[in-house]
Amino acid sequence: MPDREHIVTSYDRDLETIQAMIMKMGGLVEAAILDSANSLERRDEELAERVRLGDKAIDELEERVNEECARLLALRQPIASDLRTVLTVMKISANLERVGDYAKNLAKRTSVLVQMNPIEGASSAIRRMAKTVEGMMKDALDAYIQRDPELAQDVRMRDHEVDQMYNALFRQFLTYMMEDPRNITACMHLHFIAKNIERMGDHVTSIAEQVIYLSTGEMPEDNRPKGDSTPYETVELD
Amino acid sequence: MNDMRMVEREVDTKEVKISARDCQVYYGDNHAIKDVNVDIEDKTVTAFIGPSGCGKSTFLRCLNRMNDTIDICRVEGQIKLDGEDIYDPAVDPVQLRAKVGMVFQKPNPFPKSIYDNIAYGPRIHGLAKNKADLDVIVEKSLRRGAIWDEVKDRLDKPGTGLSGGQQQRLCIARAVATEPEVLLMDEPCSALDPIATAQVEELIDELRGRYSVVIVTHSMQQAARVSQKTAFFHLGNLVEFGETGQIFTNPQDPRTESYITGRIG
Ligand SMILES: Nc1ncnc2c1ncn2[C@@H]1O[C@H](COP(=O)(O)OP(=O)(O)OP(=O)(O)O)[C@@H](O)[C@H]1O
Ligand SMILES: [Mg+2]
Repeated sequence: MPDREHIVTSYDRDLETIQAMIMKMGGLVEAAILDSANSLERRDEELAERVRLGDKAIDELEERVNEECARLLALRQPIASDLRTVLTVMKISANLERVGDYAKNLAKRTSVLVQMNPIEGASSAIRRMAKTVEGMMKDALDAYIQRDPELAQDVRMRDHEVDQMYNALFRQFLTYMMEDPRNITACMHLHFIAKNIERMGDHVTSIAEQVIYLSTGEMPEDNRPKGDSTPYETVELD
Repeated sequence: MNDMRMVEREVDTKEVKISARDCQVYYGDNHAIKDVNVDIEDKTVTAFIGPSGCGKSTFLRCLNRMNDTIDICRVEGQIKLDGEDIYDPAVDPVQLRAKVGMVFQKPNPFPKSIYDNIAYGPRIHGLAKNKADLDVIVEKSLRRGAIWDEVKDRLDKPGTGLSGGQQQRLCIARAVATEPEVLLMDEPCSALDPIATAQVEELIDELRGRYSVVIVTHSMQQAARVSQKTAFFHLGNLVEFGETGQIFTNPQDPRTESYITGRIG
């Protein structure tokens, strides 16, 4: 990424604007991840409600990013690293918007789950998983601002941890459901939550890949560990 | 797709049409082209880009010995067309220029009728058996130059009486009239409106089915649109030469990047 300035300074301002919008979106999404998981652990319906309502702001920002990018493409016809900046901004904002949706979905399920008996240890495990994803998100966005492909690569590698947390929860929920069918409703909701957080991790990974593309011009080679073993999971009934 | 490169436009052959080795050009003491090595492929559009005064026109003129006409200009190194040295004393520059046609930065119609501007080349190279043949060539060439409709009713009027953009298209028509194997175009669209520009770009795309086209342009978008290969010149050096999609998404040299993205370099 050249740190030299454009001869036309308003071009630099336009590029800075769309990147600032991404950072703003990123801040909102990070908060939504933590707040939604906290609302579940603390059985805090009010916080869950705030997360649900807050998603609108994220969606609106994404729309504005798209509009600004379309405008910039039409008016400036960016090329080389400038083009990569615009392309990655569009992709990252789409990733952030999806993560926001998952947080909102988590918050919705909180409102259902508070009506039921808690499942032992589940919500704190979910909060830890959310915290891990949020940490990856923070680093991915830092890597973006710093144009740091190594930090981005580190984030990609950490997605494996999230996958493993998901696998563990998956097995745990299966066990609870087999032990007592009255747990099924709550465990189904909790499982969707865990799955959605695992999906958040995938979107963060995709953001990290955009950072690598932005700073090197190449997408990373696919050499990271794949961790979701649940498609092959079976239940042993005795 | 593993990256966001522009879709690589199909190139029918990778045969080298013109190769330059260790090319140097001097105007008196001014070393205008330095150690340029490049292979221009057949059936390919190659764009030359770079800041004003970097030597694009100078190097382009080497390819059909147009620099011979400039007294203080000295060309060194080797330039081969289809494997034959074009600076060999046995080569007739007039014959060479029929094979390697040129459209100049400034339109230069002959002080003759529009018809004769086009008919001149085909006539001296014996491309027409009779007047009817010649009429066909003239109309076809003017159509390819995207100017037929504007001049068809005044073919006997002088070419110099046309507007700047019309003169440029007349010169393009004149250059394609002799069916050259290589067409060198020095900023052919700088005086053209967007419609005529699109028509010339369409012509260039059509020509590359059979010929090799080299275009000098200051429009990055035009270079990106029409060419398959791009060469970036800077202070007389060929800094970067590569596939156009790669040059415009992921240039390797910081000087290329600064130039094409409009940065202070
Ligand atoms: N006929 C000439 N006599 C003397 N010097 C010349 C002549 N033509 C070009 N030069 C010099 O050679 C260098 C390269 O000029 P050239 O015209 O090739 O640049 P260019 O890249 O085509 O620039 P532009 O984009 O402005 O057309 C310049 O320093 C110029 O002054
Ligand atoms: Mg020139």
